[in-house]
Amino acid sequence: MSEAAIAVSHLVKRFGDVVAVDDVSFEVPRGTIFGLLGRNGAGKTTTLETCIGLTVPTRGTVRVLGLDPTKRAEFQRLKWRIGVQLQATSLPEKARVSEILDLYAAYYGVPPRAAEFAERVGLEDKLDRFVGKMSGGEQQRLALAIALLHDPEVVFLDEPTAGMDAFGRRILWAEVERLKAAGKTLVLTTHYIEEAERLCDEICIVQAGKIVARDTAAALVTAHGGSACIDFAARGFSLDPSLENLGRWSQKGERWQVFVAVEPGHALGAIVSHANALGVSIDDLDLHRPGLEDAFIAITGEALDDDALAGTAGAAA
Amino acid sequence: MNVLRVLLAQTRANFLWYFMRDGEMIFWSLAIPVFFLFVFSFAMGGGSTQSTSTFLVPGLIGAQVLSSGFWGVGAMLATFREKKVLRRIYLTPIPSWTFFSALVLYRMSLLALQALVLAIVGGLVFHVHVIGNPLSIALILALGAATFVSLGTVIGAVVRSTESANNIASVLTVPLAFLSDAYIPIDRFPAAIANLLRLLPSTQFIDAFRGIAMYGDSLAHYAVWIGILCLWAFAGTAVSARYFRWV
Repeated sequence: MSEAAIAVSHLVKRFGDVVAVDDVSFEVPRGTIFGLLGRNGAGKTTTLETCIGLTVPTRGTVRVLGLDPTKRAEFQRLKWRIGVQLQATSLPEKARVSEILDLYAAYYGVPPRAAEFAERVGLEDKLDRFVGKMSGGEQQRLALAIALLHDPEVVFLDEPTAGMDAFGRRILWAEVERLKAAGKTLVLTTHYIEEAERLCDEICIVQAGKIVARDTAAALVTAHGGSACIDFAARGFSLDPSLENLGRWSQKGERWQVFVAVEPGHALGAIVSHANALGVSIDDLDLHRPGLEDAFIAITGEALDDDALAGTAGAAA
Repeated sequence: MNVLRVLLAQTRANFLWYFMRDGEMIFWSLAIPVFFLFVFSFAMGGGSTQSTSTFLVPGLIGAQVLSSGFWGVGAMLATFREKKVLRRIYLTPIPSWTFFSALVLYRMSLLALQALVLAIVGGLVFHVHVIGNPLSIALILALGAATFVSLGTVIGAVVRSTESANNIASVLTVPLAFLSDAYIPIDRFPAAIANLLRLLPSTQFIDAFRGIAMYGDSLAHYAVWIGILCLWAFAGTAVSARYFRWV
């Protein structure tokens, strides 16, 4: 039982000339929640799909519960023990929710419990609804229910809350916490900071097919976010060598940002007196405790989604 | 016996989801063949619609068998792959033969329904009499469905996009129906061409089906063609099993 639930070693996946996954290795201990966090196209889904046998690695190995998903017989045994909620999938449009739940129960030879599982994902009053008539978020919740019907040991969730409303997200998060309490191992991909921070025991930050950081959310923030983040706008401001030593600086137009490595009050004092010496006025100053998003930006040099990036660019303009 | 339960549940689900609840599908698979029966009977029948219709009823059912395999299964599999329905099924532990058998069974039950409708309309309107042994009729129809569904899955296995699968399905179905003794008696072609056309599995199936259903021939009478159809079915299954991709 000490063996890891999932072991990925030097995984490479190429599609033609494009390297989607570039030498990725990680292990997921049993009973933990493992998150792959990154922007769209970073290689999260490809990594997850190699774990569940949908994609064959170009190089490297993948073991889930000790089984190799590229080997037919081992993959067949693995299918009974994993549950999967795919981002890119669809169920027949003219099928009713209860029919899908009953058919999937039959696939796994478990007793039909459509009503119970519909309730678990908040679809109890939609049992007679056609799949094609449900919203994207509702279809995602149905996909979650069929991933869990057979009580799998390892659960893979690919962008589980993409397109979900607040209600759907709460349901999914509650379900993830329930699975963790039951001792299940979970792997999820996400580009939502809040989701990764809230759910995952361990987070891998993925950028351009590589793992660029891997730790708990708290450790990532401490290691990469610094003690504070200071953000201000000052026309005509410039750095000198002593200020540069305060931490990691970035600049967009008049907008300056520094992840401070030293004591925050000291840094703030130094910035203010430097601005005074330059005769520059500081507008819109903000000092906050860094979060995972700050750590993400510090590590990758990019915002997590394009909205956030547009927000920063807009503020700088 | 869980596999058997899954097979039945999946067949029933296919029938419900892809036929019963799809108005367009009901129209194309039931109304259109009946419409063709009327048009062709009057257009080609001249003075004797009865003998023309007796020729047409099994021909139209045979054409439905072709379209069932190429369209109904071949193009549908390509659509399922593109819409990412297949990958979800692939991740479940059901054996792939269960999934394919359920498609074949669904298509066979739909064909039985289509055959029944054409035979009843043919009987009531054009005095067509089905005199063959019901068991023999069921067997040859099932063999035809299995053969053309298995050839259809080759399209689904090899062709990537829904669009080309649809094109290939129509290019195969429509001309084949005209060349395989379904609508036009094959002996209206020059003898040399007719002999070539008799080598087509679609001609062999439709002729055997017509002989057994309408003229009371025995299965044994068509033993050679039945054997060849079995070979086609086997070859189609083997090619699909080798090249089929779920994702």
